[in-house]
This record gives sequence, structure tokens and C-alpha cells, in this order.
Amino acid sequence: MAVEAVLTTTILDRIYREILYAENKLTMWKRLLLVRGAEIVVFLLLTAIPLEINNAYALGLLTLLAVYGILLIGLDVTVGYLGQINLGHTAFLGLGAYAAGLSVSYLGFGVLGALGLSLVVGLVFGGILALPALRLEGPQFALATLSFSALTVTTLNEWEGLTNGAQGLQVARPDLFGLQLNAQNFYWLCLIFLALVWLVMRNLLSSQWGRAFEALRDSPIATDAMGIGAYRHKVAGFAIGSALGGLAGGLYAFNFQYLQPQTFVYDLMIILLLGIVLGGRKSLWGAFVGASLIALLPNLLSSRIVFQTLSILGFLLAFSAGARCLVKKKTKPFQAIAPIVAMGTLVIGSLVVKNTEDWRQAIFALMLFSVVVGLPEGLMGFASHFLAQLFRLAPPSLPEASPLDTVLVNKPVDGEALLELKNLKRYFGGVKAVDGISLSIRSGQIHGLLGPNGSGKSTVVNVISGLYPPTAGEMLLHGKPLPTGSLFKVSRVGISRTFQNLQLFAELTALDNVMVAMKGVYRSVLPLVLLGLIKEEEKRAQADSLALLTLVDLKDLARSKAKDLTYGAQRFLEIARALARKPDLLILDEPAAGLAHPDVTRLVEIIKRIHQQGVSIILIEHHMDVVSELCGMVTVLDGGKIIADGSPDEVKRHPKVIEAYLGTPDDEAAKALPASDAPLLA
Amino acid sequence: MKKVLTISLMALGLFAAQAFASDAVKIAITGPFSGGSAPMGISMRNGAMLAVSEINARGGIDVDGHRMKIQVIERDDEGKNARGALVAQELASMSNLSGVIGTVNTGVVLAGDRYLQQKGITKIITPAAGSASMTQWSKAGVKNLSIFRFSADDSIQAAMVVKEAIDRKLTKVAIFHDTTNYGVSGREDLLQQIKKQGNKLKVVTTEKFNIGDKDMTAQLLRAKLAGAQAILIWGIGPEMAAVANGMAAMGMKLPLIGGWTISMSNFINNAGKNGNGALTPQSFIEEPITPMAKRFINEYHKTYHVSRIPSPMSAAEGYDAVYVFAAAVKQAKSTDTHKIKEALEDLRAPVKGVIATWRHPYSKWNPANERTHEAFHRDQVVMGMVKNGRIVFAHESDKQRLIKEAHGENSK
Amino acid sequence: MYALIVTQMVVSGVLMGLIYALIAYGFQLTYATSKSINFGQGELVMVSAFFSLTLLNVGVPYWLMVPGGMLFGALLGLVVERAGVRLALEQKSEGWILMTIILGLFAFSVAENIWGRDDRPFPTPISSNPIQIFGIHITPVEISVAIGVFALMGMIELFKRKTLLGKAFEAVSADRDAAELMGISATRTIMLSYGLSGVVAALAGILIAPITTVGPTMASALILKAFSVAVVAGLDSGFGVVVIGMTLGALESLTSFYLGSGWREAPGLILLILALAIRPMGVFGKASIRKV
Repeated sequence: MAVEAVLTTTILDRIYREILYAENKLTMWKRLLLVRGAEIVVFLLLTAIPLEINNAYALGLLTLLAVYGILLIGLDVTVGYLGQINLGHTAFLGLGAYAAGLSVSYLGFGVLGALGLSLVVGLVFGGILALPALRLEGPQFALATLSFSALTVTTLNEWEGLTNGAQGLQVARPDLFGLQLNAQNFYWLCLIFLALVWLVMRNLLSSQWGRAFEALRDSPIATDAMGIGAYRHKVAGFAIGSALGGLAGGLYAFNFQYLQPQTFVYDLMIILLLGIVLGGRKSLWGAFVGASLIALLPNLLSSRIVFQTLSILGFLLAFSAGARCLVKKKTKPFQAIAPIVAMGTLVIGSLVVKNTEDWRQAIFALMLFSVVVGLPEGLMGFASHFLAQLFRLAPPSLPEASPLDTVLVNKPVDGEALLELKNLKRYFGGVKAVDGISLSIRSGQIHGLLGPNGSGKSTVVNVISGLYPPTAGEMLLHGKPLPTGSLFKVSRVGISRTFQNLQLFAELTALDNVMVAMKGVYRSVLPLVLLGLIKEEEKRAQADSLALLTLVDLKDLARSKAKDLTYGAQRFLEIARALARKPDLLILDEPAAGLAHPDVTRLVEIIKRIHQQGVSIILIEHHMDVVSELCGMVTVLDGGKIIADGSPDEVKRHPKVIEAYLGTPDDEAAKALPASDAPLLA
Repeated sequence: MKKVLTISLMALGLFAAQAFASDAVKIAITGPFSGGSAPMGISMRNGAMLAVSEINARGGIDVDGHRMKIQVIERDDEGKNARGALVAQELASMSNLSGVIGTVNTGVVLAGDRYLQQKGITKIITPAAGSASMTQWSKAGVKNLSIFRFSADDSIQAAMVVKEAIDRKLTKVAIFHDTTNYGVSGREDLLQQIKKQGNKLKVVTTEKFNIGDKDMTAQLLRAKLAGAQAILIWGIGPEMAAVANGMAAMGMKLPLIGGWTISMSNFINNAGKNGNGALTPQSFIEEPITPMAKRFINEYHKTYHVSRIPSPMSAAEGYDAVYVFAAAVKQAKSTDTHKIKEALEDLRAPVKGVIATWRHPYSKWNPANERTHEAFHRDQVVMGMVKNGRIVFAHESDKQRLIKEAHGENSK
Repeated sequence: MYALIVTQMVVSGVLMGLIYALIAYGFQLTYATSKSINFGQGELVMVSAFFSLTLLNVGVPYWLMVPGGMLFGALLGLVVERAGVRLALEQKSEGWILMTIILGLFAFSVAENIWGRDDRPFPTPISSNPIQIFGIHITPVEISVAIGVFALMGMIELFKRKTLLGKAFEAVSADRDAAELMGISATRTIMLSYGLSGVVAALAGILIAPITTVGPTMASALILKAFSVAVVAGLDSGFGVVVIGMTLGALESLTSFYLGSGWREAPGLILLILALAIRPMGVFGKASIRKV
């Protein structure tokens, strides 16, 4: 009782505050009107069709469209957002379908109960499959999911006592609260589910969860290092996508009312994948358009007139677009010519071929070929650029940046030891990359870590930040043992880092790169996220992130994708992202590598500003002038051991350092150069 | 925008399908015309189309004094249930369709026929043989059924296969079947028939194989170890050929007795001489023993440029089904599908087909007896045998009987 | 007797596994250079087999048909590379997955319409009458497959190690960027790998056709197995496919004997998922240290 009351007040409170936060700017309304308006119009249209056209076939196609819509939105989580080739989605469709069918006939479930069970079955099996598949990428992930799917079909086929095996399962369609689910009512039920899934997934994917999924796709290592958690998001993403597959399966079962294991095999999976890519990845609209294509197109191609019209239209489109691109040299010639050739073949074929029914699949393939070559981002990817230009849609406005002091709270600097390394060792086989290092980093310091290539300094920070577990030795943060061997755990205790080889989330904007790493903002539980009641904290995260982008002079590029930034800007963005963790200790791994001189100057300024906020820093650097200017303390490594320790000036004069960098002291080169300004270059 | 476009396209599609000349008898022929079951689907369609063009060449069907030509809508169901269901929905929503002929895969029948039955559209299933195609209606206790079957169904075939094994004085058999609907329901039919015919056969092992399997060593060895004297097999051509070839490779010589699909050219071709002696119930054997059969076989070879019909039974059944349907249209004096159904249930004039002369093939539907809507009886099916790349009569007596019957027909 | 039966099954399974291995090898060749594979490889096998059958039917002698078919396979491989893969690789996208699937769909449908939907026997001068070796039955056709697999793979591996072109191939496989800096054209090398992969597919088609017969679906079941073998062995491991292929073949044979033929594939699938979970890079793949 009490819990319910609290929950209700929380939700009411949330809604009230959401209203307060709603902007009433014109652009926002325009956006809302166009984007939401299009959604509402399409759903109204879909709802109204059965009232106008009472045609079993049209209804059957539309029902399938709604079911495939849900299925593809689920598949898009793994294929689009997580960026994995998932060949197991049909298994969840099948499991969901059988769960629904069996629960109705054996357990007497109603429609909603059965659909709920389908969803749960998808969720659970998706989670289970994600466990062994977690470490896998690319073809390996594809194979693991494919094998799971084959295993599912075998099991459904062999477990004849339960599923009736290959002979198929007849599924009854129970009434819904006394309402008979005839074709029309059932279609509306599917449509309601599609709308619900649409809303919930829109909220989820535009939240921190969606950003985390995309982050995971672009760089699993950085996802862990930024404390987001690759593991949990991969499992969650896969489970959520599979749950939708299960739900779609339940609807599928009630739609066709006859199930056979052989339905859920590789062939169908390929069609689904095609649907996602054709429609456009990472987009609800894309999934919807893809679903329309795969549900309607193969069935419509049976009609010769439709086929001829489509191929002539397609040819004209390919020809005009292709010719324009060729003249303007916007794309590669292949991209312009191949669709023209393919559609031209179709036009000729449509006039010559006697029986189009025999050539249906070739026709389908040629159309797909043209779309995939001509529109690599899918139909919706193309359409959204086009529409955004047409209506001059500006991206939603951003809030004012928070004051920097509220984001990076200035912590008192006590000069005590922050991080202590005791006799740290890390061996790779016989190679002793780090061989017994003891080091103390005091709070408030910028501590330089130097050494020639292969001296072990990168390995040291990789061990500290948790990428590799140490072979031996002790690491203490604030006097407590530091977690080892987990980027994620280390990042959670207050150490954050950048990477020598950039590990940005390339497809995310600069702002999202920072937002996704932001610590201490996202507190809402999943139900609130799904209901979309999180605008307040989203605004907060945006404002805080803008503060950090301002710190690194990237505020004006907040909406640019990370991959489109200049190299220098990418380096700075990594720093801003690392700061979003609000770390006690920031590790900068060669931040100046490859930077042009003006950028190096900016970098020094930025590091100084960060230092002023009380963040302690480990700086790995080759540029001696940078080190001299910034570091109070420098440690020099060679061969995995410390060879010198002290202030920059002391270290520069240390004979061992000179030897490590320039060879033995009586080397000609060393003599030729005065020790004080010997450039320490690697 | 996209949506409006799609819907208008769809509307276009629907209209396009309905844009027929108004003075034609519209029938749909459905089946798998692509994919693994295509040899059967294509043979059935080609057989049916031969009949259609013969009828049209004679000016069409006499419908209450009008000569009406037959117009055919083809739909490829790819042997997939979901696609089959959509095809059935499409056909069910066509306004003036007289009937549907076809379907090869029993799963597609089970997924799709419900939509046709809801609208009362007359359908003749051919050549799908799985028992469930018709028993689903008797189980559901349907009172008025518009679905008929024109094929030597599995229960007839299984009875013959079991009888053949018993007649050959065999006592221990192995059952081999594929993991599809067809194979599994064939296994059930065989087990049922063994029981029905007095449990004279002992099934020593039941083995499965998947579509696409080429290595049958393990299954065959298990059969060998269990002491099987013959293999009763239910599957389709390529895998059954793999069984025959596997036996030859291991030096096993067990008789192979199986479903009608043994007559498919992909069994005969692939098994080659290893297939010799395999026995199978057939409704039609590609042997020009009667003038009708001779003409049909020649026409098929000539029209479709082949030297052998990929699935002769499918072709012949498709051919005869069209003639039976046409006779019903003539008797109904209407293209209305409901009236055609009534006529089919009481077809008075005999229909001369290539398989047999059909006399009153169907009667009023009785849920207690699905044979009321089954055209085939035991006598229309003979035991065939593979011999040097052809199917021949296994028992000379059958051949003589059919020749005599055909002769009798002609002299009448 | 019992030992003999088990041996017979292992032998049959291993021979089947070699077929998986040969097709899997085609996947590896292209993955090595371009990190892409042709999902339509099965159709490549099938179309090449049909083409070779046509050559035989128009009277080309067997010994001339084999190189003819392989040349045709190479051409098809190049077509796949040009039409389906190159653009995606230039854009550094994963579009090749769909493009190769689509090309496969197209090839399937075209083959159905040109050569018909029926399976056809593939004449071969090699006998399919079994011979007995220590009580094990084996057919010369099966032996020819084994010999063909080893001969072709051996030749390609020799080519990669001993010729200049082959070394370029190895260089691009090892480090594409470095190879390009040394003046090796990655595009040409990738073309070469697709051509070679086509040759492998064509030879696979010719070798297995007497066993599987020639038809549009002849390779659909095999191709998924071959994909499994390639990935489990490790997509960069040359001879690993042979070991894994033979193991999988024998395992399938043995499980259908002991567990019943319905579950034939299940243990293989479970082991496969486990193998991947334990060694993501494949059993014979090179494990790489994560570097940042």
C-alpha cells in the first residue's frame, strides 16, 4: 500500500516537473509537430484502414506488418545499437510463439497472459544466450547466435511430447475479456502492441541506455573504462531485443494459429536482417519501413502490374539520382551505376520474362541490391536527411552549461599519497613489461611518467586502470586496495583515463560522448526510463556535459559526431569524457601525441584548468616542454624499472635518463648536446 | 508518405489481381515453385497447366451454354507456412475466384486452408499427402467443408507399404523418416498401419535425418545392428537417395519401401543403380501403357523440354484435378465457388483422367469420415518399383488391370 | 565387430568433415585479406557445379572440365568482390554481409530458372562402388574428395608461402596498412583472395557433386556447417579447418549413432558455442593481446 502511494506520488511529481521543464520554443514545437505528428498520422491511418477496407488479405498483410515491426525493433537493438550480427532472432520468435501457443493449450492462459509469457521467455533466453556470447564479436557472435537458433529448432522439433514436433502445433486464439478476436480486432491488438513497443523503445533508446548500447558498439574497452559497463549493457540489450522477439512470436502464433519449428530457420533470419538494413539501422522508423518491405513486397511482387510499375519507377529513380551523383561526383561511380544496371535489368526482365512468379526471388534480390548500394544508410537514413533538409529542422536546443564548479567539485588537496604502487609487476610470457615498480602519487599533483618506447609506462597505466591484472605487487588508492583486472571496477572507484590510441564512441556526438560517461546524474529506475519521465536528469546531464565541453573548448561542436571531429578535437573530447567520471585521479596517456603545435599549447592550458579543479593527474608524455611546464614530479621508466624520480629538472640531468634516451654517456650524440636541454624524444 | 505509397501500391496489387476478363473461370494454382519442394510444385503446376491449355484449346468449359476459358492465377508459396497463409488470405479475398488447386507441403495446407474454408472457397488439395490435411477438419467437427483432396494420401500409401512388407514375409523393419512434417506424419501412419494389419512387423529402430543430410552411415549402422530386414522410408528425393547410396557404400542390401516421393527424379537420378528395386505406391507411372497416359507424357515432355517428369505423380494429379474441377464447373452451370463445391460433392458424369476414370470421386462431407472428400481409393494406387532410372510396375498384375480398365473405358 | 562399426562411422564422418573443411577454407581465404566473407559462398559452389555439369553435357572431357569449372568459379569470385564487397570495404562498413547475401539470393533464383529446380546426377569417371580396407567400406569418390581437399589446400598454402604474389597475400593478411605502405595494393590482393575463394568453391562443387548431386539447394545445408567449421577453427588458421572439420564430421556421426539421429547436430552446436565462449578467436586462431 505504502509503496504504491509513494510510487504514485513520485510519478505525479515527475510529470509535474516534466511539464515545468518543457520548453515552449517555436523550433521545439515544429519538431514535435513534424516528428510526433508523423507518428500519430501513421498510427491513425493504420488504425483506420480496416474500417474502410474490409479485405482479409490486406488485413493479413497489415497484421504481419505490425508483428514484423515489433520483431525488427527488437532486432535493431542488437544489430543497430549493439552493432552485432545477430542470427538468432528467429529463435526468440519461435520460442515466444511456442510459449504462447503451449500456455494457451496446456495452462489455459488468456491472450495477454500468453503474450506476457512470450515476452518473459524471450527475455530469459536472450539473457542466457548473451552470457557465452559476451566475449564474441563479428563472425564469432554471428555463429554463436546461429548455433543457438539451430539448437532451438532441433529442440522444438525433437520434443514431440510437448510441441508435437514437425507435425506442427495448432494454436487457439482465446477471447480477450469476452471480446472475440476476429481478424480485425486481432489486428488492432497487434497495432496497440506495436504502438506501446514504439513508445517504450523510443524512451529507452534515447536515454542513457541507448547511448550506452551505442558506446558499447563503438568501443567496448572505453565503455568499461568510463564506468558504463560493457557486460551489463550487452546482456541487457540482447535480452531486451530478444524479449521483443518473444513478444512478436506470441503475436505470430495467434496470427497464424499454426506453428512448425521449421518456420524459424536461417531463411527467415536473412529476410529479417535485410529488413533492418533496408529500412535503416538505429531507427524505429527504419525498423517499421523495413517491416513493411519484407511483409508486403514479396507478396505484392506476385502481381505483374505492380512489379512492372515498381521496376519502371525504380529505374527512373535510380537513373535520375545516379546521373545527378555522377555529374556532381558526389559518390563513387559504382554506387551510381550499379542501381541503374540492376533496375534496368528488372525493367527488361519485366517485359521479357513469361512467368514472373518463377523469378520472384531474383526480382526481390535485384531491388534489394539497388537499395543497399544506392542508399547504404537504408531508406529511413536517406529519408531523414532529406526531410530534415526539407523542413529545415534544427536539432533540439541545448540548455545552458552548468557552472564548472558544480560539475567538477573542487576537492581539498591534502598532499597525501593518493595512489601507491608497491613492487608492481606485469609479465607477458617471458617479457617483463613492468618489473617491480614502487611509486607514490600524491593528491593534487601532476605526476609525469616518462620513458622510451617499450619502457613499460603504458603497461603501468593499463595495469592501474584495470585493463590487465598485475602479475604481482600491490596497488592502493586512498590506502585501500585497488580493484584489479577490471576497467569497469577501477573506473567506479575514481580513476579515469584517456587512451593513447583514441577510443572515442565514433558514431555518437561529442555531447553524447561526454553524457554517456557522466557520473552521478542518472538515478531513475528502468520503469521511469521506459515511461520517458527522465527529461529532468537528461537536461542536467546535458548541462553538465556542456560545462566539460566548454572546458576543452568544444562547446560549439557539441552536436558533431566524434568521428567527424579533427584529430586534435578528438583528443580533447577524450579528456572531457574522462572528466565526466569526476575522477580523483585522471590518467592522460600521451595526450599530445600527434598534435600540431597550437593544439599542444591548448592542451597545456586545458590540463592546467583541470588541475585547478583539484584533479590529480598522471601524465604520460614525450614532449619534455609539456612535462616541464606541468609536472611537479616525474618518474622515468626503462626496461620496466624506475631509473629516475624527482622534479623535471633533476630528472633531466640524471645520467641514467640520458643513457636510456641517448645511449651511453660517451656516445658522440650525448656529448654534442648540453644535458640541460637534451630533447627527450622517443 | 511512405505508408500512403505502400498502401496505394497494395491497393494497386489487389486491383491488379482482380483485373481479369469477366467471362473466364478463374482458378488459382498454388504450390512451391522455388526452393526445395519446387520439383513437386512445378510438376504439379505444369501438369495442371497442360490440362488448362487443352480445355482452353477446345474453347473452354461449357458453363450453362456459354463457353468460358480458364484463367489461372499462380502463387508461389515457397513451401513456407507463413507465406502459404498469406497466399491463402489473398486468394480468400479475391471476389470472383472459382477455386484453388494445389499445395505440396502439408504444413502449408494446415497454415493456409483455414482462410479458404472460412470463405467457403473450393479447394482441391493436390499433391500434398499428409493425413492431417483432411483429418484436421474431421477432428474439428466441421459440418460444411469446401476443401477436397486429390492425391494418394499417406494413409493409403502407408497401408500399401506395410502390406508389401508383410507380403514379402518380412518381420523386422527399420523406419527411416525426415524431420519435416511429411516425414514425421508418415512415421505415425506407418506405425498405425502396422498395428492395424495385425502387428506382423516389428519395428526394430526408428531413424531420422534432416533435409540436406548426405551421410546416413550412423542411421544405417543402427538399422543393421538391430537386424532390420527392410527399410520403410518417408522423406523426399535427395535424402532418400543418400540412404540408398549409403547402403550401397556399406555393402548393405535391404529392400527400400517408401512413400510416393521415391518416384521423384531427384531420387532416381541421385541413387542411380543403387535405387534399383526400391518400392513405392504410385498413382501414376510414367509408362505409356494407355493412350491417355501416352499422350499426357508426350505432351509434358514436349511442352516443358524434359525427357522425364521431375515428379510424375504430382504432374498427373495436377492434370486430373483440373479436369475434375472443370467437370464440376460444367455441372454447376456456374463459376460460383459454392455451387462448384456442391457439384464436386455429387459429380455425376465420369471424368476421364490420366490416372483413372473418375466416377463420383467425392460425396457429401461427413465429419466422421474424411474419405468423403478424398478422391483416391486403394485401387487407384499401384505399387511401383525403381528400375534402371524409371519407375515400372512392381506387380505385372496391376499393369494388366489398368490396361484392361482403360481398354474397357474406350470400348464403352 | 563393434570397434569396426565405430571406425566405419568415424571414417564416414571424417570424409564428410573434409567437405565442410574445403568450403570453410573458401571463407578463410577472403577473411584473411579483407576481414569479410561471402555469405553467398554456397551459391557459388552450386552455380559452379551447374556450370561444370553444363560443360560435361556439351561434350567437354572431364579433365578439361575441372580447370574450366575452376576458372568459372574464379570469375564468379571476382564478380562477388566487385559487386558485393569492394564498395562496403571502401566505406569501412559491414554492408558486405547483406550484399553477399543478396547476390546469393539472386544467383539461387537465376540458377533455378536456368538449370531447373531438380537435382541432377553429376557424372564422374571415378567409381562409386565401395572398396573394403580392413573391413571399412569406402568409395573411390570419397577418397577423391579427400585427395582433392588436401591437394588444393596444399597448393594454395604453397603459393602463399613461395611466390611473390602469395607473399603479398600474407602481408595484407598480417597487416593491411603496413602492406599498403610497402607498395602492395590491398585492393588487388583482396581481388586475388576472392578469385582463389571462387576456385576453392568451384572445386568443392565439382568434388562433392557426385555425392550430393547438382541442384539449387545442394550446398545450403553444407554451408552453415562450413561456416561453423571456419569460425571455430579460427578465421585466420589455414589447416585448422581440416582438424575441426574432421572432428565435427566424426562427432555428428557418433552422436547420431549413440543419441539417436534426431539429435545429430545438438552436441556439435553446444560444443561450438562453448568453444567460442572459451576461445573467441577460434581453436586455432591467434589470440591477440588487447592494446589501447
